Amino acid sequence: MESASTNLEPLFAFLAKSLSTLEFAFNKLPGSAVIQRYVKSSHQNDPGRTLLELILVIFAIRTLLQSRTRADRTGKHFIQFSDKEVDELVDEWSPEPLGQPLSAREQAELAVVPIVAGPNGPRPKIASTGKTATNLASLNFTGLAGNENIKERAVETLRKYGLGSCGPPGFYGTLDVHMDLERDIADFLGTEAAILYSQGFSTISSVIPAFCKRGDIIVADRGVSFAIHKGIQISRSTVRWFDHNDLKSLEDVLEGVEKERKKRRGPLTRRFIITEGIFEKDGAMVDLPKLAEKVDMLVGSVAIGLSSSGGFCAGSQTVVDHQRINGPSFVFSASMPALLSVSASEGINILRSTPSILTTLQDNVRAARAILDRVECITIPSHPASPIIHMHIRAPPTSSLHPASAAAATTKPSNPTSPVPRDASTWDWDIETEEKILQDVVEEALVQGVMITKAKRLRGQETVEPRPSIRLAMTSALTKKETEKAVNVVKNAFIKVLGRKR
Amino acid sequence: MPSPSPSPSPMAINIASPSPTRSMFSKKRSKPPIASAASYLNALSQADARARTTRAPTATPALSLSSSITSSSEDTVLNESEHAYDPSNADGLTHPARPPTSEQVFTTVHTEFGHCANDKFRLTSQHALGEPLPEHVEQDPPYYILLSTYISYLILIVIGHIRDFLGKRLSPKYYTHLVPRNGYAPLNSDFDSFYTRRLKTRMDECFSQPVTGVAGRTIVLLDRISPDYNHTHIFTGTRTRALNISSYNYLGFAQARGGCADAVEESIIRYGVTTCGARLEGGSSDLHTTTEALVAEFVGMEDALISSMGFATNSAYIPALVGKGSLVISDELNHASIRFGTRLSGANVRMFKHNDMRNLESLLREVISQGQPKTHRPWKKILVVVEGLYSMEGTLVNLPVILELKKKYKFYLFVDEAHSIGALGPHGRGVADYFGIDPRSIDILMGTFTKSFGAAGGYIAGNKALIDRLRVRGHLGPYAEAMTPPVLTQVLASMASIMGVAVPSPASDAVSNTLVPTAHPGPASESALPSWLTLPPLLASGIEGRSRLRRLAFNSRYLHRGLVKLGFITYGHPASPIVPLLLFNPGKMCMFHRMMLDRATPIVVVVVAYPATPLVTSRVRFCVSAAHTKEDVDTVLRACDEIGDVLDLKHGKAEGGERWSIERIIASAEELAGSS
Ligand SMILES: Cc1ncc(COP(=O)(O)O)c(C=O)c1O
Repeated sequence: MESASTNLEPLFAFLAKSLSTLEFAFNKLPGSAVIQRYVKSSHQNDPGRTLLELILVIFAIRTLLQSRTRADRTGKHFIQFSDKEVDELVDEWSPEPLGQPLSAREQAELAVVPIVAGPNGPRPKIASTGKTATNLASLNFTGLAGNENIKERAVETLRKYGLGSCGPPGFYGTLDVHMDLERDIADFLGTEAAILYSQGFSTISSVIPAFCKRGDIIVADRGVSFAIHKGIQISRSTVRWFDHNDLKSLEDVLEGVEKERKKRRGPLTRRFIITEGIFEKDGAMVDLPKLAEKVDMLVGSVAIGLSSSGGFCAGSQTVVDHQRINGPSFVFSASMPALLSVSASEGINILRSTPSILTTLQDNVRAARAILDRVECITIPSHPASPIIHMHIRAPPTSSLHPASAAAATTKPSNPTSPVPRDASTWDWDIETEEKILQDVVEEALVQGVMITKAKRLRGQETVEPRPSIRLAMTSALTKKETEKAVNVVKNAFIKVLGRKR
Repeated sequence: MPSPSPSPSPMAINIASPSPTRSMFSKKRSKPPIASAASYLNALSQADARARTTRAPTATPALSLSSSITSSSEDTVLNESEHAYDPSNADGLTHPARPPTSEQVFTTVHTEFGHCANDKFRLTSQHALGEPLPEHVEQDPPYYILLSTYISYLILIVIGHIRDFLGKRLSPKYYTHLVPRNGYAPLNSDFDSFYTRRLKTRMDECFSQPVTGVAGRTIVLLDRISPDYNHTHIFTGTRTRALNISSYNYLGFAQARGGCADAVEESIIRYGVTTCGARLEGGSSDLHTTTEALVAEFVGMEDALISSMGFATNSAYIPALVGKGSLVISDELNHASIRFGTRLSGANVRMFKHNDMRNLESLLREVISQGQPKTHRPWKKILVVVEGLYSMEGTLVNLPVILELKKKYKFYLFVDEAHSIGALGPHGRGVADYFGIDPRSIDILMGTFTKSFGAAGGYIAGNKALIDRLRVRGHLGPYAEAMTPPVLTQVLASMASIMGVAVPSPASDAVSNTLVPTAHPGPASESALPSWLTLPPLLASGIEGRSRLRRLAFNSRYLHRGLVKLGFITYGHPASPIVPLLLFNPGKMCMFHRMMLDRATPIVVVVVAYPATPLVTSRVRFCVSAAHTKEDVDTVLRACDEIGDVLDLKHGKAEGGERWSIERIIASAEELAGSS
């Protein structure tokens, strides 16, 4: 007993000495007295708190030391292997190929994608045939493609700015011409400000995560485009879906969301409604005046409407400034080439000074619909004024008596947590067969000198597989006569191919 | 400096002495500048105060208020060079220091692409075969620097919170966008935006500086001032031409004149500015086919696919490569677009320490042996994603070791060459070329055209079957606008001038020419370009392309070595055209930025801080270009030397332990750059 304590004596002495040195050093530190006092008083008030704070400190240190990249070796699923076993497992493992080679069908699909030789426009030359065709496929609503004024401005800009901006907007990539276009867009749309992205497709998928975070609520239309789906996916927000273009359903869903919040007594979260002006998927048009008195953000494509490249988001100054720091594809990507920006500004000018462009377009849309609406074998989900016209194959009469179709008429509200439309169970078309028939229509039309295209989809990656369709794009670059002639070709192609099938 | 400036910019700094000396440093370099540091700071704060009291600037703010559509864009486009042209060459930017001799012919505009005829200032960008890649050692600054950096942030945060606390009570109207209102939650929470409001706003003058003209060797700034602590900026209407060591213009192809621009003009006349839609829905042009073939040839892969945005090339094609049941192993410093893409893909993600091959190997051993989480099923596939050249660090990927690992662990390798393509390798073909490695030993090469090629957009290259799969499965094919004709042409022209275009030699007949496949990395085959695109001889022969590559290699090494010899802490590989110089203290970022800009020869720099870098390692990032002359690099080094003394930045251990004077560095540039 005694010997043990004598043996340990030097150790105690050492401990005591080091403790006092530590104390001395601690006391010499500036501010130590404050800490001491704080600890003392807080301990007196509530000894439990000291423990809690100590645990917090330890936890903080642990979190700091824990590297993000460290392997999770402590999880309960971790299996310990010896080096030899790991080597064997490594040897045994054989990965799948990185990409599956295309099937013969897919290859054929890819091979018939039209390639335009030379400039695109209302009457391009098709590379595979060497012949010109009337173009109802490419997006050139306002007929600005090939516009001589725009070309002239583009060349002028090239000679001042070169081509690339060689930097993201934050690092000397913001050009005066970008600011000009942003202002032009804001003026054109009547918003306070606008921000320019360098690609249309990447705009919305960047705008959504800039605002919507985990815990926020997004209420979205079931018919929104692929890009919006991707934006929603990356935002990790909670999503509630309403029936495609159905404001009643939207109201129901919004009420549901509010009820849910009240029930949970949660704080006010941010809620966003996401929908499209003209739906990319089917050309339906949203009833915006009814939907909201004020839209916070308008996201659009410079590439499509203004025949240039890029996308924009227009809204209040706060909304725009926020994206300049938080929009991933704005911050981390080079800004748009100057000449494309100026081309778009010039496009807006032309639209402003020549309002007849839009009336011609509307005339053409109406003329086309007058013909197509009377074609028996197709259905058109698009709005009568939409320059994008989708056409589905009308189901043969036998299946319209299908008992399942009655289910679609039920008034039971759809499940807001699922993006699947409520009548999806009644969808009885076969995607592959329809795609094939529509491709025949496309090819038949091309033989007759009209270039059209199926709506291309990412089969297997879409949240809801859209029904195969042919997608026409009207343009003001064609006259009404020319449009009618081309649309008649499309009509006849449908009748010929579908007549053959039946 | 702006020439027709009506009154001195309120932000201009008057040093106490009224002497006409433009720069306080340039004339009295021998004196230790310590005494002047205080006076400089003093002058700075005075200028600051003046800027705050100055209300409406005398010149009309050309770009902030005009509501007319055409007029504003017209004069900014058309009258740019008259404003910025400085015939007196006071800034040393418009004319070369040495006028060209009678036999020297320069085809470029000096402000876009510097005139440098001295063949000594050239190097080849190449890794010594068989040598291991030297590991990057991060030098630590003295403790007081670290401490003061932390304290700076602490002060900023504390003051920020105090201001928020008081502000919300005293002037709630400035906080309305942060609090719930009329039943709407705020768009932006007060917590989320704290960093932006209280830290970044203080430095806003360093960011998003609007410019005009070509982002070439020099760039023209639209001068602006902020009357209200960076909440708004007002354009003064004046412009400043500055030496541009910030744009990703590695090979100097950002040019408004010359063979490439001529080709682009021709393409606009022939094709217009759009191909009207997505690649799969009627937006494909023969130019796309041509460009994809040339890109594949350039990078040495079977096939390539191009897209209209570099960011989207990652964010939309990675999900087409991997999905549920696959694993992506990603370097921790990978670009945001890669992270965006992997998150969309639904694959599991693991990260390894930046460029740490041991860490990568142990991670590989773990993930392959453990399999998928919970189920322990083997992974369907593992994709390792790295960058060729890291844009914030200037580090090179350790490709030789990764390829060793790849043999053993059977993962697929994706290399993002956004910064390395064109900028590295004796033939400019990127990291594989730099290390002398067959590019086809890599599964996927991705890169962008926004940097070395002075264009826009990106590519992804691999074997034919894989690229065809991406054409069908990638998100961009059906949904994104295709690359536009002028951009395609810039890519074609710049790429062909780096490669040189093969001419059928008159001696050999057609048979031998068509039969011999052009070995990678050889010249572009004659049929690779559209018939209407003819490059001037200097470009077509590849002579100029080679000279650009060699100028870039020289400039990169020279700047890097020079900074190290001056005693700075730098990051990255000496061959990298990205040269980060460590500043540490957040307050020094603004100072450095401002002092570089206020010199007789203004220099624009990029400063980056948290969250783009770790908290302590704020840095300035130089991007060297082939467009710079050796004298330009001298100018940058001299500026860094002087400012480095003032701001106390020289804490590195120069290689060999010996620091050199700026004069010695400038005199022995070749020796310095050439040393390995
Ligand atoms: C590694 C990397 N990948 C992709 C990108 C995106 O390229 P882009 O600017 O062409 O969109 C960048 C640009 O900064 C990058 O650094």
